[in-house]
Amino acid sequence: MKYAIQINEGPYQHQATDSAYHFAKAALDKGHEISRVFLYHDGVNNSTRITSPPQDDRHIVNRWAELAEAHNLDMVVCVAAAQRRGIVDDGEAERNGKDATNIHPAFRISGLGQLIEAAIESDRLMVFGD
Amino acid sequence: MPIEVDGKSLEVDEEGYLANLNDWVPGVAEVMSKEDDLELTDEHWDIINFLREYYEEYQIAPAVRVLTKAVGKRMGKDKGNSKYLYGLFPYGPGKQACRYAGLPKPTGCV
Amino acid sequence: MSDIKKFMYVNRRAPYGTVYALESLEVVLIGAAFDQDVSLAFIGDGVYQLKSDQDSSEADQKNFSPIYQALGDYDVTKLYVEKESMEERGLSLDDLMPLTYEDEDDDWAEKDSIRVVTRDEMKELMEQQDVLFNF
Repeated sequence: MKYAIQINEGPYQHQATDSAYHFAKAALDKGHEISRVFLYHDGVNNSTRITSPPQDDRHIVNRWAELAEAHNLDMVVCVAAAQRRGIVDDGEAERNGKDATNIHPAFRISGLGQLIEAAIESDRLMVFGD
Repeated sequence: MPIEVDGKSLEVDEEGYLANLNDWVPGVAEVMSKEDDLELTDEHWDIINFLREYYEEYQIAPAVRVLTKAVGKRMGKDKGNSKYLYGLFPYGPGKQACRYAGLPKPTGCV
Repeated sequence: MSDIKKFMYVNRRAPYGTVYALESLEVVLIGAAFDQDVSLAFIGDGVYQLKSDQDSSEADQKNFSPIYQALGDYDVTKLYVEKESMEERGLSLDDLMPLTYEDEDDDWAEKDSIRVVTRDEMKELMEQQDVLFNF
């Protein structure tokens, strides 16, 4: 099965990204494919590299990044949602005149078309959120 | 770097879009097009005015495909194609014409 | 990308209280360029998104309800509104914005985009979909 995953909620505040992570891991372990992980709404906050949770808690961003590295996952952050919430890469910093970036290199900022495309090309779109 | 329009200094962002949409006056389009070495004709103004009306009515800038269809319907089939629109606005009707018309900057979607 | 898929955007929340309704519209507008079989569903508090005469100025938020009237231009012409959800909230079709589209295959005749369906019919519609986007 080829899955696309959409995450609609931010880290720590909400379980959606944890559920999505465990789903992705289980699916990959069973030999399924994850064609794309798309962060939308507050879900874009799962991509900031400057997150620092306490040592005795899971590191949600790094955990996604490690999974992405191990399985070559395409992790996409919605540009419009990212602009509203201050998730910035080099291109966006230049385009919008911002003095810093905060995106983790495991993620890339792109358009909503990537979500539609993933939904078209995968067998199932899994939406995690409220 | 602000632009000077009708003796007033108006704030624009890194890509030259108006920072405050309420600042728009026709002189904004004149000043911006002059910086691009483009002379605005009635044909340009037809599109700029259309974009402003569309935004006023629907609160969004139309996608180029929607703009093309609407222009064709309102101004004739010969104008309802992207070749005509890109001929008028070489940097793209979505970007350049919207900037002149004082519409919000496209998010960069698609 | 050969077959056309049936996409349904399910809107469950009131506008303005959260950003879901607005950001759902943004997906719909972008998705319209992909030539799929698109419909929107409005259930629960989502029916409030189509309420006529919205005024969000006191909340200092942009009134984005006019965007629904542009959906016809984007060939998004099927907006299913659940009858029971409206009734539970004391609403009827007369309380919603009139939304129309021009039917290209019928000499551009103006037609209603909003279709009121029962909860059972909505269930059937959802079962027919390939992709459900939840907002």
